[in-house]
Amino acid sequence: MDTYSLYAGQLLPFKEYFAPKGHNACSGCGVALAVRHVYKALGEDARQLEKAVWEIPWGRAGIGKTENVSGGAQPALLSIAKSKGKPSSMLQICFDNECTEGTVDNSILIKRHPSIASASGYAYVATACPSYPFDLIEKVRKAWNAAGPAYLHILCPCPVAWGFDPQDTVRVGRKAVETRIFPLYEIAGGYYTITIEEPNPRPLIHYSKAQERLSGWKSKKIEALQQAVDSAFSELKSKENKNVNYPSNIRAEM
Amino acid sequence: MVEKTFSQRKVGCHLLETDKARPYKPGKKPELGPVWDKDLCVRCALCYVYCPDAAISRQDDGFFDADMNLCKGCGICHRECWFGAISMQEVD
Repeated sequence: MDTYSLYAGQLLPFKEYFAPKGHNACSGCGVALAVRHVYKALGEDARQLEKAVWEIPWGRAGIGKTENVSGGAQPALLSIAKSKGKPSSMLQICFDNECTEGTVDNSILIKRHPSIASASGYAYVATACPSYPFDLIEKVRKAWNAAGPAYLHILCPCPVAWGFDPQDTVRVGRKAVETRIFPLYEIAGGYYTITIEEPNPRPLIHYSKAQERLSGWKSKKIEALQQAVDSAFSELKSKENKNVNYPSNIRAEM
Repeated sequence: MVEKTFSQRKVGCHLLETDKARPYKPGKKPELGPVWDKDLCVRCALCYVYCPDAAISRQDDGFFDADMNLCKGCGICHRECWFGAISMQEVD
């Protein structure tokens, strides 16, 4: 057995940077898992305080401030789109657990933030999910080393708000990718690449049946959403391996 | 550690040292915790990778074990173990 004892998980740094002494997130929290891997990917680069209790300073907003925190992504994107000079270097990460949206429909399930960010001149834009940790770590490293502003959109399953057993956190995130409702791709300088593509996608009902919040979906709505998901994925697929950078005059008007 | 007032901080309120930050210990231990079967475990580190609470650490012999002060009993390690080496059992 010792001959084959080298696995990919053993190659990760075993040092914990995010809250090595415990945190107050819920049991089976997807956001905590994502933040842990982001900090593990950044490692010593993001370390600012040598004698801090936590290795990297972090904060967690209360429920009353979640709107400010979660709503920060869109205004920030717009402010950068409007500004004439590009910021030299910035890493912006949206940990999306889909909790503050009022109603669940296809406009929130099919994400538009990455394409907005790419159109506003970000050097590196990617979507990620903590169910695929090595993909996530690679994208964080690329975003950190990008020659310009970078944006990451990370889908974090939330057992409390979505309504599933805490032990299924990783499974539900994997289902989101396998049903193609949240495809994992990256846009490096306007150049699209789908990093993880499921050749035989699951039907959408596998994703909706796993969660209590989507239990109100009837078969008609699921069929309509399935078509929306398929068309969104084929649109993404048509952009793959093509440079779709917008001209600078259009970018200034957005 | 001495707490600084607002006026004593630098412009922009960048915190150069932690004021009141202390390690956070979840007080109550979970009802169920992971227990490893070393005959089935192949040390693939999947449980370590997917633990949200950073409770699982590698021991000196290469196997993994959980710190029950940090574990919250979510059971992701039990669910994601390909070899069925982890079972959730009652914690003393």
